[in-house]
Amino acid sequence: MSQLLVPRSDASEFRKRFRWMAFAAVLGFLAVLVRLFQLQIVRGGEYAATAHENVIRKVTLPTTRGVVRDAYGKVLASSRTSFNVHIVPGRVMPSARPKKRRGHEDPDTFPHVASVLRLNPDERAKLQARIEEACTTDEDRSPCWRPILVREDLSRDIVAELRQHPKETRGADVSTVPVRYYPGGTLGAHLLGYTREIDAELLGKHRPPGYDQLPQDEKQKLNPLSYEVGDHVGATGIERAWESYLRGQRGWEKRVVDARGRYRTGPDAERLLDAPSRQEPLPGRDLRLTVDADLTSAIEKAMRPHLAGAVVVVEVKTGRLLSLFSKPSFDPNDLSGGGGRDRVREAFSKLVTDPLRPLLDKTVSGAFQPGSTFKPFSALAALEDKIVAPEDRERCDGFLSFGRRVFHCTHVHGRVDMREAISQSCNIYFFKLAESVGMDRIARVATEFGMGQKTGIGVNPESAGRIPTRGWYALRYKGQFRIGFTLNTSIGQGATTVTPVQLALAYAAMANGGTVYTPEVVRAVETSDGAVVQDFPPRVKHKAKINPQNLARVTDALTAVVNDPKGTAYPVRDAALDVAGKTGTAQTGYVLRPGDDPKRAWYFSRDHAWFAAYAPASAPEIAVVVLVEHGGSGPTQAAPVAMQVVRDYQRLAAQRAGKAPAAHPAPKAKP
Amino acid sequence: MRRRDDARLFGLPRDNFDWPLFLVASALAVLGVINLYSATSVARAALSDVYVQQVYWLVLGGILGAIVAIIDYRHYERLGYLLYALGVVLLLLVFILGKDIRGSSRWIYIGSFSFQPSEFMKLFLVIALAKYLHDDPKNEERGLVDLIVPALLAGVPVLLVLKQPDLGTALILLLTFGTVCMMMRIRWQSLLALAVATGILLPVLWTYVLKDYQKQRVLVFINPDENILGSGWHAHHARVAIGAGGVTGQGFMKGTQNQFLFLPDQHSDFPFAVFAEDWGFLGCALLVALYAFLVLWAVRTAATAKDRFGAVLAIGVGAMIFWHAFFNLGMVTGILPVVGVTLPLFSAGGSSVLTIMMGLGLLMNVSMRRFYVAPSRTPSLLR
Repeated sequence: MSQLLVPRSDASEFRKRFRWMAFAAVLGFLAVLVRLFQLQIVRGGEYAATAHENVIRKVTLPTTRGVVRDAYGKVLASSRTSFNVHIVPGRVMPSARPKKRRGHEDPDTFPHVASVLRLNPDERAKLQARIEEACTTDEDRSPCWRPILVREDLSRDIVAELRQHPKETRGADVSTVPVRYYPGGTLGAHLLGYTREIDAELLGKHRPPGYDQLPQDEKQKLNPLSYEVGDHVGATGIERAWESYLRGQRGWEKRVVDARGRYRTGPDAERLLDAPSRQEPLPGRDLRLTVDADLTSAIEKAMRPHLAGAVVVVEVKTGRLLSLFSKPSFDPNDLSGGGGRDRVREAFSKLVTDPLRPLLDKTVSGAFQPGSTFKPFSALAALEDKIVAPEDRERCDGFLSFGRRVFHCTHVHGRVDMREAISQSCNIYFFKLAESVGMDRIARVATEFGMGQKTGIGVNPESAGRIPTRGWYALRYKGQFRIGFTLNTSIGQGATTVTPVQLALAYAAMANGGTVYTPEVVRAVETSDGAVVQDFPPRVKHKAKINPQNLARVTDALTAVVNDPKGTAYPVRDAALDVAGKTGTAQTGYVLRPGDDPKRAWYFSRDHAWFAAYAPASAPEIAVVVLVEHGGSGPTQAAPVAMQVVRDYQRLAAQRAGKAPAAHPAPKAKP
Repeated sequence: MRRRDDARLFGLPRDNFDWPLFLVASALAVLGVINLYSATSVARAALSDVYVQQVYWLVLGGILGAIVAIIDYRHYERLGYLLYALGVVLLLLVFILGKDIRGSSRWIYIGSFSFQPSEFMKLFLVIALAKYLHDDPKNEERGLVDLIVPALLAGVPVLLVLKQPDLGTALILLLTFGTVCMMMRIRWQSLLALAVATGILLPVLWTYVLKDYQKQRVLVFINPDENILGSGWHAHHARVAIGAGGVTGQGFMKGTQNQFLFLPDQHSDFPFAVFAEDWGFLGCALLVALYAFLVLWAVRTAATAKDRFGAVLAIGVGAMIFWHAFFNLGMVTGILPVVGVTLPLFSAGGSSVLTIMMGLGLLMNVSMRRFYVAPSRTPSLLR
């Protein structure tokens, strides 16, 4: 062929196809148009709303937890700022990211950040390994861009260093978290309690699966305090019981955010915000307690010689608790998240293994045999039912045989009447008395004075104690009732247990003529600027049906305990103090098991030392109960502490005589 | 009208210049650049000059397209298989010189310059198929045997591209081949046999050829709401962006899905979502109309072409543009699974732009020479 270009060929084979192809193409594009119509016009509004939701994020605004103060305004619990540092792996160490996706990058700031944060070589190596692992990919949602918490509760100078050199420490972000702060440390910790991070159980209760999809009012009903992951909640004590007051309400603010979670500002972003764009947070309510921190501090000093125990001071005429002290204590600062999670974990593991049970609030949750401090109530039972006349004398030979069992007294008291029996704490007298009075009459009087039932203090899991009756024994020992049970009950041994708070309220009731109060620890709820929202007047729980004459006989005997030369507490008497009370030395029934550490067995087999008192005896103001766990003898171990407490109470009262306790303004009607 | 009928290599009859094709293509190119500007305006700094590069590529593509249009297409017919062989060699080179990017190697690097041979292969395949049909004129119906050679021509590059792996390009090659086949008169029994064979082959393809990420995309397409944060992310946010555009759009550079980075690959595979969010249904309808015009114009050019080669060339280029546009729009609007197919003149990318521009050059070439009468002399250049 001479021509390089081939001659025209016949295209007739294709003729009929073109129309069909055009038709198919039009059909294809029409399908796209129909779809666009559906997306943009039919469902356009819906997608516009989704797109809007995508860029608007409701950022919660933190609230501050209420401050807890003592009766005189001293701060017991407040919040402080804790500085935490997060690092973003891809930003502190761009060199760790995959090479090919890396454009022009800044140099690593990690070495500098590590030195500013004072990371030790081990921590540093670990963190570096973690960063490198996170950055094996650097897609938009890879862990490479997710902040890692590196340090909690940093000191201010490190924070200042980070903030002053933002360029050199790029990728290290300081966040502030409120942390509960207890200026008193271990002092009064059981009453105050501590806060902890919310656990899965509580969170699951308030935020069940599907919670996020619920309408707002349903959410409010399920989760009135709007708990969220990572929140701190009251774990024990006041912090827990008054959580709903202390917590406050979070606010929120709408922010414009991009797909990577970065906030955008400027007019282009702000035009997207729709009203309302902000709700201010409401700070938590402040609490004013009835307790006197200075008195607690004095009690702590008085209890220093002892390992473990509890002290309760209650106002006789109001039932307000002036001090609740439980020993050993813990530092709520360690448990509330300040200083980081490691510190919390470490503190807990130490506390839960301590045999002296430092986490237990012994004033409220601990039930102990009251020993001889219970005798006044047995005496009252006898007087009320006129079974024994106060002048009747019983002979004490130092022991008493009932059948095959022999019951002992402390020593030979000779012939004693009721007054002497109480003041010298003669067991034989009470055994003989109990034999005729019976267990149920004693139980009735004890119950009249609020024992064997919860006091309603409302803080910490309260123990009801136990005042046994014949019925209780019948159930427990299947019809084998023995007279020994009654005898033990009359001197506060056997199955009888009380909490120190119960005992204090019962003694307060004896001192005030028989009024049992519901104990109060919170005096008032206040706003953050000091206005009183709610004021709590004293609440009478019960008026004991007791003949005042009989009561007077018993209180007279209680005065003799301290002031009669033969009284058990006479040796520790302070002439300057007008105290009435009763000592107690309760056997703990410790059973030695083979393999017990002998030192520990020696300690735990010792008796509990008690002293329950009120003062001044002539015009009672306070009732004091001192329990020295395994302290030995009540008169020598517990009574001096109680004397010291009364002394300090009067000293503080005198100090404050000039300036009365911070008076409350009249309650304002404020929600 | 007396037309110059000699086939001089640079003999360009100015009055035959295809203005509608030129204007529509230019309009698309301009809209594409404007849209890329919006798409990359707030994204990471690395993308800030994408639209400028796109202009460079368009200019280079325009020059190449003009050259392609000026040379009489019958020269391509003569060189058809040679060009095809060149394309296959380049595809093979990818396996030697290519670099792995996001799990597949598609690019050849020459210095700082990189290109994607699979894009150019689309044109080479069209030319080779055109040559085959040109050389094999038939008026009776064709059977399966007649399809063996074209199928081989298409099969080799398809397999090579699948190996990279690049499902989108393989798909475009296959569909373009299929469209060209539809030009032929094929016996209905043969068509039936083909359909049955496809039905058998699809499960095999699914099990042995498709990679997991590709299967995942198809599954996401079947059940779009299952995994919005994972593999359904692209499709979901593209749909939201399009829907949020509404009737009139949110305005140029005001689409929030794009501006706040919810659209991944907004410059490569998803520029249409940006366009739809900015300009709304009205803008989208205009864009679809422009693409439809381009495709219909290609069919018209094929119908008026003077020979088989020209007709197949025009249909091939039209099919390439149609399938690109249809698959991209379908994937972005969610009526088709997410397959990496670019939107002609809207997606950023040198190889893609150059391929489309040269394809349009071929179309212009055929269109301009539709009035030829039989040549009488050898071309002047070769004389």
